Amino acid sequence: MKRTGMNRRDFLKKSVEWAACTAAVVALPGRSTGAETEEKAPDLVVADGKPGPATRAAVEAMGGIARYVRPKDKVVIKPNMSFPNPPEWGTTTHPDVVRELTSLCLKAGASSVLVLDNPLRNSEMCLERSGLRRACGDLPETQVQGLTDRSFFEAVKIPEGKALTSTMVMKKALEADVLIAVPVAKSHSATGVSLSIKGMMGLVYDRRTFHMDLDLDVAVVDLCTVLKPTLTIIDASRILSEGGPGGPGKVIPMNKIIASTDFVAADAAAVELGTWYGRKFKGRQVKHIQMAHARGLGRIDVSSLSVKEVHA
Amino acid sequence: MIRFQRLLQIPLFALFVFLLWSAAHPLPAWPEVDLFLRFDPLISLGSMAAARAFIPRVAWALIIVGLALFLGRVFCGYICPLGATIDFADWVRAKKKPGENGFEDGRRYRSFKYFFLLGLAGSALAGISWVFLFSPLSLATRFYSFVVHPLVLLGCNVFLDTLRPVFPHLGLDRLALIRLDVPQYNTNLFVALLFFAVLALGMIRPRFWCRNLCPAGAVVALFSLRPLFRRVVSESCTQCGTCVRACPMGAISRDMKTTAHSECITCLKCKEVCPEKAVFFKVTRQVPAMAKEVDLGRRKLLSAGAAGMAAAAVTMTNLHHLHGKESPRALRSARLIRPPGSLPEPGFQDRCVRCGECVKACLTNTLQPVWFEAGLAGLWTPKVTARSAGCEQGCATCGQVCPTGAIRPLSLEEKLFAKIGTARIDKSRCIAWEQNKKCLICDEICPYNAISSQFVPDHPVTVPVIDENKCNGCGYCENKCPVVGESAILVEPLGELRLATGSYREKAKELGLVFHAKTEVRDDFILESVKDKEGQVKTEEKPLPPGFVVDQ
Repeated sequence: MKRTGMNRRDFLKKSVEWAACTAAVVALPGRSTGAETEEKAPDLVVADGKPGPATRAAVEAMGGIARYVRPKDKVVIKPNMSFPNPPEWGTTTHPDVVRELTSLCLKAGASSVLVLDNPLRNSEMCLERSGLRRACGDLPETQVQGLTDRSFFEAVKIPEGKALTSTMVMKKALEADVLIAVPVAKSHSATGVSLSIKGMMGLVYDRRTFHMDLDLDVAVVDLCTVLKPTLTIIDASRILSEGGPGGPGKVIPMNKIIASTDFVAADAAAVELGTWYGRKFKGRQVKHIQMAHARGLGRIDVSSLSVKEVHA
Repeated sequence: MIRFQRLLQIPLFALFVFLLWSAAHPLPAWPEVDLFLRFDPLISLGSMAAARAFIPRVAWALIIVGLALFLGRVFCGYICPLGATIDFADWVRAKKKPGENGFEDGRRYRSFKYFFLLGLAGSALAGISWVFLFSPLSLATRFYSFVVHPLVLLGCNVFLDTLRPVFPHLGLDRLALIRLDVPQYNTNLFVALLFFAVLALGMIRPRFWCRNLCPAGAVVALFSLRPLFRRVVSESCTQCGTCVRACPMGAISRDMKTTAHSECITCLKCKEVCPEKAVFFKVTRQVPAMAKEVDLGRRKLLSAGAAGMAAAAVTMTNLHHLHGKESPRALRSARLIRPPGSLPEPGFQDRCVRCGECVKACLTNTLQPVWFEAGLAGLWTPKVTARSAGCEQGCATCGQVCPTGAIRPLSLEEKLFAKIGTARIDKSRCIAWEQNKKCLICDEICPYNAISSQFVPDHPVTVPVIDENKCNGCGYCENKCPVVGESAILVEPLGELRLATGSYREKAKELGLVFHAKTEVRDDFILESVKDKEGQVKTEEKPLPPGFVVDQ
């Protein structure tokens, strides 16, 4: 994925290996590395509070941003800004969440933060009305862009794809050292819900084939085999319970932010947290999330995970 | 040393370009971007005559007409962007001056502009406005909007693309992700050719269009026969003829002294080139008489007026003529969707001057000038081409920039209720209805939640269903439909609201249309058959919404 050095997946693997070694060393009786060891982050964090503070608290509970963003890293944040609707509609990620996250990344020493999406509706309007450009526009080394031109995308092969075998993906997202998914929790008329897994489609140039030629649920999961966020923050400050993805529809205030390094777990948690179309669902009841789990992209069974609840 | 005329003409032309550039969403609160269009006397008088109404917004042109009484045709010499472009083209093309440039030399063409004016008047009286073919501001705005504007953006993108690899090294990261949307316009080549034809006439004589053909110039000319500020030649004139050859309008008589004031654009060139300093412009009532300055003849004038009326009559009896009929006609194209807030068709065509300002200002580039889809008289009128883009909910710029009120200036709130059509699904082409594909893009994109995905009998997947009363006609569904070629969901004019006066909001309420609804709108996944007699639905009997499976 990345042209030079370590890519994200390698980094994750390496991190896990190192963490395992460290844990092993620490676990040895009577031995100590002498260095301060990082406490193991929970699998999932659910933070309660206003969007901005809850985001900060959630990241903090996940072990702090420095755990995910190293100095000089190029960060790409992928919110949902596909619709020119105000935050109250619940169709786009809350600006406070994105701003908070961007600030945290900058504080961790990120060399650049790009807030990117390929909006469905007119780019300018989406950036303006979602409030995201205003929220992050004044931060240093930060750009909020709706990229729609083909030249910003490049063809990517999907070796593990069952339906989707290649597609055009946003270059900047591929080149990034850290990719953070920040979807809003909302319903979706085709995939049930649109969270971080479905949100990865926002980094694709031409999505028509997902609907036209392929099984949408399968294709979305295929895409996620090559696009895995380092960190997932789900904005459940309010959820669009029905009428998604574009709204208008029923919006339910939740005051929650979900964080995890496992996007399948985060999505499953968001599904179980909310009420969708007037009902409660388990994470495994959403086809594409279940498929992502079955294909080893993450763990869907929230009850078996270490979950930390914090209040902001 | 730059000439005095250029000191005003060039900044005014730059202002014209700037205003045209500014005609975009979001519209600046000030200045009025259609300012120059409002100054065009032909647009003003022509659309008022055809619409049989006083249109305050274009009444500004009366200032221009009034100005002519004092300063002559300064509109042509200083303000008109077409005049400026013609001057530029004449300057680029040839430095050599035509041999014979006296007023009398090209005289027989001079009256054409008056005949055109009379023809347009006759046509307008009969109820058809053809001013858009001749108005200099329509010509110029159309050309700069449809032809020049996209080319400039295209050029910028070529520049950006070329330098993109080096931007990060120059610390210009912000430029690296910039790519301009280049709009595309229907009829643009024809617009360009017509415009270049006007410029090419300059090969016969400089400002050939302005001298002989421009009916807006004719209006101003009629008011500048004896302007207060005018050309005077002193006794020191040696009759060298330099001024006669230099005059861009050929407004100086062969006798070197007398001036055809109706042709003089007060550019002051004659004064500047005179080696003897014998030419002055000053406020004077002393009139060096010129015989038959405007030589028309009653018979010719009547013929011109009659020809205009005849042209209108022929247009009206054309099979595809829409204008004049309020109700939808059998041959009205089902693809002709007018911009939101457009007047009822007759008034719309009367007023629309085809300047292209709305088309230029359109946020999504969905507005396009048509060929003859709206009849012969409907050439270049704007339509929503939903297949290429939808009409954006949060934008009402088209009506705001329309100089003549052919599209009413609506607030965003009012525009929400200005329904422009209704979507219809062509089930035989829809891949959900016909091929059982899980495609719900139209539902997903619909900004008004007028499309819902429903389970219907005999279909294993949900299929899109339209609620006509919620559909605003914006066309996003048609735009995003993934079917190749023509969309499987089409916006058609059925149900469009075209109000000459009054509130769209009130009218929509009266008709039971729901365009707002943030919370009360619901996507229902209810089979009709599941409902019991009271219409109540038990939750456990509801089919699952798409994307969910039963928990094992």
